[in-house]
Amino acid sequence: MISRGFSGRRRPADVEKRLPPGQYLTTDFPVLSAGPTPHVPLDKWTFILEGLVQSPKRWTWEEFQKLPTQTFTVDISCVTKWTKLDMKWRGVTVDTLLEAVQLLPNAQFVVAFSNGGYTTNIPLDELVKGQAFIAYEYDDKELAPEHGGPARLVVPHLYFWKSAKWIRGLRFMERNEPGFWESLGYHIHGDPWKEERYSGD
Amino acid sequence: MHRKDADINTSLMLDGNAIAGELQQIFGRDLTMAMTRCGRCSADTRLGALMAFVRAPGVVLRCPACGTVIIRIVETPGQYYVDARGAVFMRLDRDARRLAHQ
Amino acid sequence: MQPVLEWQIASVTAIRAETPQTKSFTLALPQWMAHQPGQHYDVRLTAPDGYQTERSYSVASEPERVGVIELTVERIADGEVSSYLHDVVIVGDKLEVRGPVGGYFVWGIELGGPLMLIGGGSGVVPLMAMMRHRDACKSTIPTRLLYSSRTPEDVIYQNELNELARKDRMLEVIFTFTRQAPAGWSGYKRRIDPAMLSDVLGPLGGSARVYVCGPTLLVESVADGLVEMGLPQARIRTERFGPTGK
Repeated sequence: MISRGFSGRRRPADVEKRLPPGQYLTTDFPVLSAGPTPHVPLDKWTFILEGLVQSPKRWTWEEFQKLPTQTFTVDISCVTKWTKLDMKWRGVTVDTLLEAVQLLPNAQFVVAFSNGGYTTNIPLDELVKGQAFIAYEYDDKELAPEHGGPARLVVPHLYFWKSAKWIRGLRFMERNEPGFWESLGYHIHGDPWKEERYSGD
Repeated sequence: MHRKDADINTSLMLDGNAIAGELQQIFGRDLTMAMTRCGRCSADTRLGALMAFVRAPGVVLRCPACGTVIIRIVETPGQYYVDARGAVFMRLDRDARRLAHQ
Repeated sequence: MQPVLEWQIASVTAIRAETPQTKSFTLALPQWMAHQPGQHYDVRLTAPDGYQTERSYSVASEPERVGVIELTVERIADGEVSSYLHDVVIVGDKLEVRGPVGGYFVWGIELGGPLMLIGGGSGVVPLMAMMRHRDACKSTIPTRLLYSSRTPEDVIYQNELNELARKDRMLEVIFTFTRQAPAGWSGYKRRIDPAMLSDVLGPLGGSARVYVCGPTLLVESVADGLVEMGLPQARIRTERFGPTGK
């Protein structure tokens, strides 16, 4: 049955083309989490590149802040059907981070891992060439803890569950290892424009 | 679990009662009275009292004592996925009338 | 007995404003069945484009009121479903519902007492179902409700609670206000804390069954306080409400 007078969400005509299939426009920034907000003191925070690298590289928060950053204005789509346009982030590209390590030839895939045990997997070639960054500012302010602060991964061209909040590192792998949601019915790749929401899509 | 912060993520946190309907759809009976034992800290908690994060791509039920994931549930258009590896067991009474006198 | 959990189409037969932010909706159900006080129903809305969203609302009415359920809903700012219910729904409208659900946060007179009910904000709703059921059964089980509200105008069911307490020697209702108390108030004026719990629960004794319902932070701090007072975990049942009602 249709609920009388319930209009639900919108796909406004002026931005319709920017909304992937099945998505609705949101103007706020919904908080979606699989667990409580971790609180990591910055003097204990580190970020590591490990796995199929010549030798792992670790940054402290102070060291990470010294890396060159860029501003990114991107559209973000969450698999729960909201899309937010023109989100402004500031962070370090994965390309910049990769300058500090020597990848082994069989490094093809990446597992991003976070405080609290969350993981997600992405092909390495979809994290490079400016396609992904570690963000620590949103909308010109420090990234709030409930949105993934102090730092999160942002991969705008994939569903937002791939943009791991509270990220602590990237592990380079030979095989594509399903992460937290990918191992429980979500699509291993997650392209919103192909509506790759669930495995089997 | 003592919690000093009051961020929005915490205030959005519910408990197993919130997914009683979904669980009954999947399993054909109420599961909120199921006793679960945490695989990490061994705390025994009724499923209705597990911390529930429901505003995510799926539902995550966590141990209120140590925060570890006990159960995860995803609903896709055609299937339900349930991962209960975080629980040592789930224990349900066979006789519904016995529940009344606990 | 497990209900066959199917969606059914309920009719709104009455709407009553309880406070500036809460309304009670009476729904007539074609497949009504007696619920257990404390249980809830899921409400689902569908837009013409097929978009759907669901929320759960505790039943406020007693199962002795046959054929209908009453849902008391707090209007949450930007709440998708609560603002629809408050701003759009009128008597005669239909709502898709499923239930009753929940087997953990339930009480009936057969479970006995003494009974301690602790509620914060809209957490009082399932506790009200328990009290209305107790009253309908003319039970004399010693019962106390400790009800925390921000201000006097936020108190849901004020008149009914006063009346229930007035006519029943075995029922006591204790209010506490966290932001602003009524003029001349000599009662509690703070968040529920261990000292208050000890004072309020003390007279009921250590064998009381306790039900705690409200925002997550209240439920956690009260449950911790009760355990610290020595109450067995098995005598405490909790239900957390989110800012969106549930």
